[in-house]
Amino acid sequence: MTLQVSNLVGGYSQVPVLKDVTFDVKDGELVGLIGLNGAGKSTTINHIIGLLTPFKGNVKINGVAINDDVKKYKEQIAYIPEQPIVYKELTLKEHLEMTMLAYNLDQQAAWKRADKLLKIFRLDNKLNWFPDNFSKGMRQKVMIVCAFLTNAKLFIIDEPFLGLDPLAVNDLLNLISERKKQGASILMSTHVLDTAQRYCDRFVLLHDGKVRTEGTLAQLQALFPEAGESLNDIYLTLAREGDAS
Amino acid sequence: MKNLFKKRLGAHLTELMKYLRLVFNDYFVLALVFMIGGLGYYYSNALKGLTTGLWWAPLLIIGVLLISVQTGRLATLIEAPDYVFLLPKEAALINYLRRAFWYSTILASLIQVLFWIVLMPFVQRTVAATTAQLFALLATVIFLKIAWLNADFARKYHLSQKWLGNRWLFRLVVPVIILAVCLYGNYFLGAGLAAIVMLGGLAVQHTWQKRSVDWQILIADENSRMHSIYQFFNLFTDVPSLSGAVRRRRYLDWLFHGIKLLPANTYLYLYAHGIVRDNEMSGLYARLTVIGTLLLVFVKGTFLPIVLSLLFIYLIGFQMIPFYFHYDDNAFVHIYPVTTDFQMKNFQRVLLLMMGTVAVIFAITVTIVNLTTPTTIIGVVLCELVELWGFIFMYVPKRIKKSEFVR
Repeated sequence: MTLQVSNLVGGYSQVPVLKDVTFDVKDGELVGLIGLNGAGKSTTINHIIGLLTPFKGNVKINGVAINDDVKKYKEQIAYIPEQPIVYKELTLKEHLEMTMLAYNLDQQAAWKRADKLLKIFRLDNKLNWFPDNFSKGMRQKVMIVCAFLTNAKLFIIDEPFLGLDPLAVNDLLNLISERKKQGASILMSTHVLDTAQRYCDRFVLLHDGKVRTEGTLAQLQALFPEAGESLNDIYLTLAREGDAS
Repeated sequence: MKNLFKKRLGAHLTELMKYLRLVFNDYFVLALVFMIGGLGYYYSNALKGLTTGLWWAPLLIIGVLLISVQTGRLATLIEAPDYVFLLPKEAALINYLRRAFWYSTILASLIQVLFWIVLMPFVQRTVAATTAQLFALLATVIFLKIAWLNADFARKYHLSQKWLGNRWLFRLVVPVIILAVCLYGNYFLGAGLAAIVMLGGLAVQHTWQKRSVDWQILIADENSRMHSIYQFFNLFTDVPSLSGAVRRRRYLDWLFHGIKLLPANTYLYLYAHGIVRDNEMSGLYARLTVIGTLLLVFVKGTFLPIVLSLLFIYLIGFQMIPFYFHYDDNAFVHIYPVTTDFQMKNFQRVLLLMMGTVAVIFAITVTIVNLTTPTTIIGVVLCELVELWGFIFMYVPKRIKKSEFVR
C-alpha cells in the first residue's frame, strides 16, 4: 500500500473543497484521478504533496504521515505539476543537477538515466538553454525528465497530456509502465479519458469534493450498466447525474 | 542546502548591485548629499531648543524605534519552482532557512544601529540617558528585531503552536510593551525582557525541522518582499520582472478620444492607454502630483516654491522615461508596418501633456498661495516653461539614446 488517503477534509481557506475523500494507490499501480474542473483533483494533489494541511483526516505514504517524519514522507514523492514551473535563471542542465542534488542521486547513474530521458524527449541538444524560454510542451518535458530521473516510490502527475506532442504522450506512458513494473505507484489526474481508459489500472471519480465512485473499468461498467461501455460515457453520465441531484 | 543559499545569495547580491548602481547615479547622490546635509543641520538646530522632561519625547522615541524594528524583512530567497524541485529536501530546508535567517538578522541589525545612531543625540538630550543606558536600548531593539524575524520564520512552518508566528504579537505588541518598559521603567530590565523573548524563540527553532513547510506562505512572503524591492528600484529605472497590475478606468476614456487613428499615432495610442491603465505609472504620477501640490500649499517664500515645483516636475518626468521601452517586448509593435521615427515624437507628446498638466496645477497653486509676490508667480511660470522644454526636447532624447545603447 503506497498511498493512503483517509477521510481527507481540506482546501485553501476555511471553506473545505474536499469533503471526506478516501482512496488508495497500491504498489505498482496506476490510478487515474478523474473529475470536472473544480471537482477537487488539484486540491487533493496539493494535500498529498504537502502544500496544504488537512482540516481532518490524513495522507500516508507507505505508512508515514507528513507530521510523523517530513523527510521520509517527502523523499518518496516525485511530482509533475499541471503548469510547468522552472527556474528563470537556470539552464536545463542545471535543472537536472538541482534534481540530483535534491533527491541525493548518484551523479554517474543519474546522468546515464538523464541522457536516455533527454534523448527520448529530444532535449539532448538543449542542455545549455534556459527552459524558461521553452514552449509549454517543452517545459512540460523538462518537468517529466526531472521527475523520472528520481527513484521515487510515488509519482504524482497532474494533467500531463495537455501541450505534449503525440510522440511525447506515448513516451511518457511507456515511462510510466516501466516504473510501474519496478513497483512504483502513480497517481495521475487527467481529462483525457480515452488515454486514461487504456492505461490506468483503476479510477477514482471525484465530484464536488467527494469520491463519487472508484474501481477498475470492469467494476465501473458493472456498477453502471446503463451508462455505456467507455470511461467517457460512464463519466459523462455520472457528472450529469451529479449536477442534477 | 547551505551551498544553495550561498549560491542564491551571490546571485541576489549581484542583482541588487546592478540596480543600486542605477539608483545611486551622479544626480541622485548629489541630491542625497544635499538632503542629508540639510536635514542634519535642521536636526542639530532643533536639538538645541529641547530640554529634558518633555512629555512627548519618550513617546516619539518609542515611535521611531518601532519603525526601526519593522525595517528589514526575512530574506529567504525562495523561488516558486522550489516547491517542486526541493520537495524531497524539505526536512533539510531548515538549514537553508536558518542561513537566510542569520543573513537577514545581520542586515536588520545594521539598520537598527543606523536608526539608533541618528536617534542617540535626541535621546541624550531629552531623557538624559547615560551611555550604558543607550547601549541597553540598542541591545533591546536588536533583540526585538531578532524575535520579529524569528516569528516571521515560524510563520513559514505548519506549527501546532501557531502563535509563535503571530505577526501582530511580535511586530507590535511585544515591542511596544518592552520599549515602554525601557523608557518609563528601567533600560536594563527592558533589554533583559527582550533577551528572554529572543532566546525563547531561538531555542524552539530546532524543533521545527520535524514539521512540514508552508510553501504557499514561504513563496508568497518572498515574492512580496522582492516586489517591494523592485518597486523601489522601479522609481529609478525599468525593472523587467515587475509587471504592474492593470486597471480599466473607464471614466478616463475621454482622454483618448482626441487620438486620430493614423499610423503616425500608433505609439501615442499605446503610450496613452498604457500610462493611464498601468497602476504603477498612473499611481506614481497621481501620488507625486498630490504630494507636490500639498507641499506648495504650505510652503511660502520667494524662491522655495519655484524650486519645489521644478523639482517635482522633474521627478515626475524622470519616472516616466522607462515607459518609453514598455512595449519593446511586445511582438505586435515589431510586426506593425510603422516606422519607429514616430515613437520619440509620440512619447514627447505624451510627456508634454502629462508634465504640462502638472506644471499648470503647480503654477495655479503657487499663484493662489503667493498672490502678493509677483516675482514668485512670474518666476514659476518662466522656469516651468524652460524646464519642460529642456527636459522633454533636450534631455529625454539623449537619455533614451543612452539607455537604448545599454539595452
